[in-house]
Amino acid sequence: MKRLAGLIIVLLIVLTVSCYVSRMVPPQKNLHPLGEFYLQNSYFGRYSAKSPEAVTSIVWDYRGVDTLFETAVFFLAIIGSLTLFRLNKGQAEEAKRGEPKLELPGPVATVTKVTVAMILAVSASIALHGQLTPGGGFQGGSALAVAPLLIIAVYTKYALEKNGLDKTRAIIIRSIGLLGIALTALVPLLLGGYIMQNQPIFPAKALGVPLGGSLVFYNFFEYLAVGAGFTAVFLLLSIPEEKFRKFLGVRR
Amino acid sequence: MSVAFLLGAFLVVLGGICDLFGAIGLLKFPNFYVRLHAATVGTIGGAVVPLFGVSMLALGAGFPHRYAVAGASFITGVIVLLVAPAGATALAYAAHRSGVVEWKPKVDHLREARK
Repeated sequence: MKRLAGLIIVLLIVLTVSCYVSRMVPPQKNLHPLGEFYLQNSYFGRYSAKSPEAVTSIVWDYRGVDTLFETAVFFLAIIGSLTLFRLNKGQAEEAKRGEPKLELPGPVATVTKVTVAMILAVSASIALHGQLTPGGGFQGGSALAVAPLLIIAVYTKYALEKNGLDKTRAIIIRSIGLLGIALTALVPLLLGGYIMQNQPIFPAKALGVPLGGSLVFYNFFEYLAVGAGFTAVFLLLSIPEEKFRKFLGVRR
Repeated sequence: MSVAFLLGAFLVVLGGICDLFGAIGLLKFPNFYVRLHAATVGTIGGAVVPLFGVSMLALGAGFPHRYAVAGASFITGVIVLLVAPAGATALAYAAHRSGVVEWKPKVDHLREARK
């Protein structure tokens, strides 16, 4: 009872203070100078990204080199984990040998099938609308990586490999994404601009939809690279422990 | 205030109440399986219902791009509606198979059906 009374007193104090403070703060009528600067540099200005989503235009346009190096750090981490799990050809074949089998009840399998399709659609929309709505390449790619993770959890990793998505293919898709990011960063140099330049070089609109210039390309390639990179790591992590013990020659 | 707005607000409040009941059940219920039920009340009642409520609120309100907000929350609601029962089923199944959870049934229909 004593604890309950204390809780109620704390709640009342918090509510009163928040009501009092919210009356004291007047609604904002004008733009802050900082907000004006962001709007000017993300949508309205001549050298802005022409994207209504200010965060994406900060991340990929005028803070772009920073994001490029962040991407590089993430991919070095993935390369590190790939090296850690390096297998020779025979061992890689051995790791792939196995039958997909369903160990969970039927409804779970059906829901997984439906959900995987929905996740693919939703992640694509997160990535490709990154210049219009909150979201972007990394977020979309992370959502995309949930789909193979679900398949691994429900149908085992052999189902994924039997349907053609093995580690090599995932790494190839990841490399295509990385190459795309690098090319998009380098294209302005060929056309007489500076590296990672956006606006006068890339188209700002297509069919009336704001593209944000290079943002849509960066988002798409980052989406491929992050999704496939995570998929490769998940495939490696889901190799059964007995097989690894055999490869490494561990005796109990 | 339109009907959709009021209905949406009602659903959001209902979701809050479901979340509270789910939390109390998660703390107070005696064993794993009944607690799992309380957790599912928390996800279906406390996440799906308010998400549908938010989509109705957005349809009833007059701000720009309201169809985008309504559609996104509706799709998220449908995904959670599908996934939460499947996750609970998988958890209960795995706990029953592996036998890590204490299991003292009053009636065991599964065993009777398997006989």
